[in-house]
Amino acid sequence: MGNPSSHEITQLLVAWNQGNQAALEVLSPLINQELHRLAKRYMADERQGHLLQPTALVNEAWLRLIDWQNVEWQNRAHFLGLAAQIMRRILVDFARARNREKRGGDEIQVSLTEAANIPSNRSAGLVALDDALQALEKLAPRQARVVELRFFAGLSDEESAEALHVSIGTVRRDWNLAEAWLFRELKRREPTRDV
Amino acid sequence: MTSEQFLRVGELYHAAMELAPEARLDFLAEACDGEDELRREVESLLRARQQADGFIAGKVAGLVAEMAAQQKNPSLATSLTLSLVGRSLSHYQVLSLLGAGGMGEVYLAQDTRLERKVALKLLPPAFTRDPERLRRFEQEARSVSALNHPNILTIYEVGTALTEAAETHFIATEFIDGQTLRERLRGGRLGLGEALDLAIQIASALAAAHEAGIVHRDIKPENVMLRRDGIVKVLDFGLAKLTEGQRDEGTGRQGDRGSVESFPISPSLRPSVPLSQTEAGRLLGTPQYMSPEQARGQKADVRSDIFSLGVVLYEMLTGYPPFEGVNAIEVMAAILNREPAPLKQKVEALPDELQCIVSKALRKNREERYQTARDLLNDLKDLKEELAFTAKLERADRVERDEAAPFPAEALPTAAGTAIPTTSSARVIFGEIKRHKLAALIALLALVAAAVSVGLYWQAQKTSVPIDSIAVLPFANQNRAEETDYLVDGLTESIINNLTQLPNLRVIARNSVFGYKGKETDLIGAGQALGARAVVVGRVLQRGENLTISAELVDVRENKQLWGQQYNRKLADVFAVQEEIAKEISEKLRAKLSGPERQQLAKRPTENLKAFQYYTQGRAYSHRRTREELLTAIRYFERAIEEDRNYGLAYAGLANVYSSLGAYGYLSPSEGRRKAEDAARKALALDENLAEAHMVLGQVYVHFTPYSFSLGDGELRHAIELSPSLALAHWYLGISLVFQGRLDEGQEELLKARELDPLSPVIARSLAIPPHLKRDYARALELLQQANELGPPFGTTFEIGVYIQNRLFNETLAELEKAKRDRKNDPILIYGTGMIYAARGERAEALRIIKELEEMSGESLSQAHWIAKIYATLNEKELALAWLDRGLAAGAIGSFYKDEPVWDSIRSDARFGDLLRRMGVPQ
Repeated sequence: MGNPSSHEITQLLVAWNQGNQAALEVLSPLINQELHRLAKRYMADERQGHLLQPTALVNEAWLRLIDWQNVEWQNRAHFLGLAAQIMRRILVDFARARNREKRGGDEIQVSLTEAANIPSNRSAGLVALDDALQALEKLAPRQARVVELRFFAGLSDEESAEALHVSIGTVRRDWNLAEAWLFRELKRREPTRDV
Repeated sequence: MTSEQFLRVGELYHAAMELAPEARLDFLAEACDGEDELRREVESLLRARQQADGFIAGKVAGLVAEMAAQQKNPSLATSLTLSLVGRSLSHYQVLSLLGAGGMGEVYLAQDTRLERKVALKLLPPAFTRDPERLRRFEQEARSVSALNHPNILTIYEVGTALTEAAETHFIATEFIDGQTLRERLRGGRLGLGEALDLAIQIASALAAAHEAGIVHRDIKPENVMLRRDGIVKVLDFGLAKLTEGQRDEGTGRQGDRGSVESFPISPSLRPSVPLSQTEAGRLLGTPQYMSPEQARGQKADVRSDIFSLGVVLYEMLTGYPPFEGVNAIEVMAAILNREPAPLKQKVEALPDELQCIVSKALRKNREERYQTARDLLNDLKDLKEELAFTAKLERADRVERDEAAPFPAEALPTAAGTAIPTTSSARVIFGEIKRHKLAALIALLALVAAAVSVGLYWQAQKTSVPIDSIAVLPFANQNRAEETDYLVDGLTESIINNLTQLPNLRVIARNSVFGYKGKETDLIGAGQALGARAVVVGRVLQRGENLTISAELVDVRENKQLWGQQYNRKLADVFAVQEEIAKEISEKLRAKLSGPERQQLAKRPTENLKAFQYYTQGRAYSHRRTREELLTAIRYFERAIEEDRNYGLAYAGLANVYSSLGAYGYLSPSEGRRKAEDAARKALALDENLAEAHMVLGQVYVHFTPYSFSLGDGELRHAIELSPSLALAHWYLGISLVFQGRLDEGQEELLKARELDPLSPVIARSLAIPPHLKRDYARALELLQQANELGPPFGTTFEIGVYIQNRLFNETLAELEKAKRDRKNDPILIYGTGMIYAARGERAEALRIIKELEEMSGESLSQAHWIAKIYATLNEKELALAWLDRGLAAGAIGSFYKDEPVWDSIRSDARFGDLLRRMGVPQ
């Protein structure tokens, strides 16, 4: 199967939104691919010297994938919401896979030799964040949604407000509270002891 | 909490955020008007807010980099596609993921036609591109399977199915409910009888396959499954062949990482390493089980499998693979040139005949090896019979068990640097280049750390009002390569350590400042939150050969930069720089410091870069404090010591880890004590002025009964003298004083510890102990709740007493259940639950928990202290006293607070006084 056009991708999104689960199965690897390609390009760009901003990356991936011209304005916000869900699923799946590998592989064996390649704890961090976010969803669904939109789809405050049909001020407040809540929740869950 | 309640929390939170920080608490007190729970919730969120900035972005930043890094590796695409669980593949319904390995992911699936469970292995596309090769593999797999040998995994089908994007090739095999030999070996070496038995079964599988003309090519513990009933199944015959040739492709792709492209690759170095995917997601090989001919890149034949089985047998018997090295090249060099250490050197009780068999299987020249697996099988069987006959088998097994018992760390799959990465020769060579670069980089960082420290110290003393407290914030890593992160952290840590040793300067501990890692930090706010007068910030950037490090010192009270310096160095200049910086140190400090202080600062703990590298890793692991990570830390410290026998700090690190293992009951306390004390003494023998070593020795004296408080306090005070900002030394001293009933003095030291390490949950929590022992339960509770914001609850044994005295039974039980989800089988949570039941008078439940703890603690009696506490709470005086007595006799009691309210029921009993005397606790 060749690379589908942005038009086709948009169609797939519509199909998924209408309940066709298979459409998501086709979409995910495509989004992955794009994400990777972009990430690699960002990383390789020597001249910029900027830190890799994941949100910018994710945003760009979506801009490239979706045929925005043919998406009606109110749908646009809706799509952004879908984008966030998919992106969350991909990133978290990836992180879980990494965790699994870490547990499965002989972690010490590798890390000793090439010290520079020691894996980060970030995948574990993201999985924990996702778990905490699920807990927040039960308590405060809208606040959790704001995190999903801003964090996993890289939306701006304005775009998030548009997707949720609330004011920008609300989005900012929601983010502020959700971030504090999640931070505290993760701190509480962290299994570290220090003597 | 319900969503309605949360809504109120949110409203109050936002209202408070609108106000100036100092007005918030008053506002909340008024608005909540007696609803304490609501007020506490909002307050805790406001506190969390102060640190929460940007933390979410930090969670994903590195991950995207990891995803990008994986892009280099085509076969990994599979691990990125969505999991197949719940979907159908051909006529298989996928049930769950069993594992992910080099040959792709393996799922448990239901065969919907034949209604049986199967294991489905998906072959990554990269392995199946060549149809001819795939066909040959299928043919081989089928013919091995057709042998119907009990020790060869049965293959049901090699098939293809269409998934979203492409054709997926899969292998359906019988499903084995059991573990791999690799997993089994994680539990330590095997007994002689078991090892022989497994080797016989593997040899039998090989003999059958070889006689059918099929070579396995990749015999290793990962490819041997152990069924619960003791039957061995050898997996993946011929699969290794599929991957041959992949590395050529890999080589090209490695090129885009740098200079490797043009590096000439000697064909002799081209290993035919079977691919296996390890944690970092790269394609890595395991050269450890490779035969010499495979290491030379020659064709494998049946005798190669025999060699590999020899390696596996050696590892089963000793717990160590025979050929080790810190990277693939060294391992392969060992396989080609080195004779493995005799078995007896590792495990004395092994019979001589076994040595003959192993040696013959491991002959470098394949002409001198066993020529057929059948011959090897016969020798193994003969030996087994002979041993059984002379009953030697039983005896050897018994001796072994006794020997193997003492310490779980020995059971770790042998040391670390063994199964070494790499697939392609390019990768190997690249690794080497990188390692050397890395060594230079590490050396430079260490030197720069010294220079920065000197500059800082000098400046701090020079200001009109000398700076008396400093927080070194984690240096920012400006390299895109996230992999250098830990080196940059190492630089920060070195600077902290250097400064900690200097007089008249309070330096905030690593633990607290690392909360700021990777964040855009408001310096003034951070300085205030950490209670420091000045903060240090810096950046590290490595571009090719050039390394730039900049650092500045900012006075947060005056909000001005006191000092700033940029260091530009070339990696290659490392030795010249070393001299230059040493000179700088002596010139700048001559006037300022006394002789010994100057020496202290200029002292480099090791000259061996590898040792430094291992040590840094060990430190990183020992900070995390779960059982597995502590055990890993031990491995690293041991490696560091292997590299540099005179590395005092590494011994001190080792001592600290053993002491913690004993204190947590992960190791029997007496064992932990002994090993910690040994290591601490070695450290002191090497450097009698090593603060960390004095600290750990003191820790040992005051952590385990019978206590030696005067010795311990002396060591701890000496450590503080040598290194005034060593937070943990203050903390151990504080705890020691509390044990002795000197609550006020103890509290003073605990407060000092917190000043130095304000974000440590353990230190914060300990501040609740003095009020608890003084029966001020409300204050103790308040302090505990503050500490719980910093880390998870239930890290120490006294906490539960505070909740009980505040009669928070239901809430605490709920919290305990919550904690159990993340910390399965953590004895401290089980103990806590038992205490609550006992306090509520639910006798039967409490006794059930005691039984559970009894089983966990076994002969080491590591939980005796806790069991006694539950009995005391149940008012079972005799039993409480009896368990204290037993625990004490076994050396298994630590952290005993004689003033704790839980002992009130037995305090007046003469036997309690007697126990205290035996523990060495003053009355």
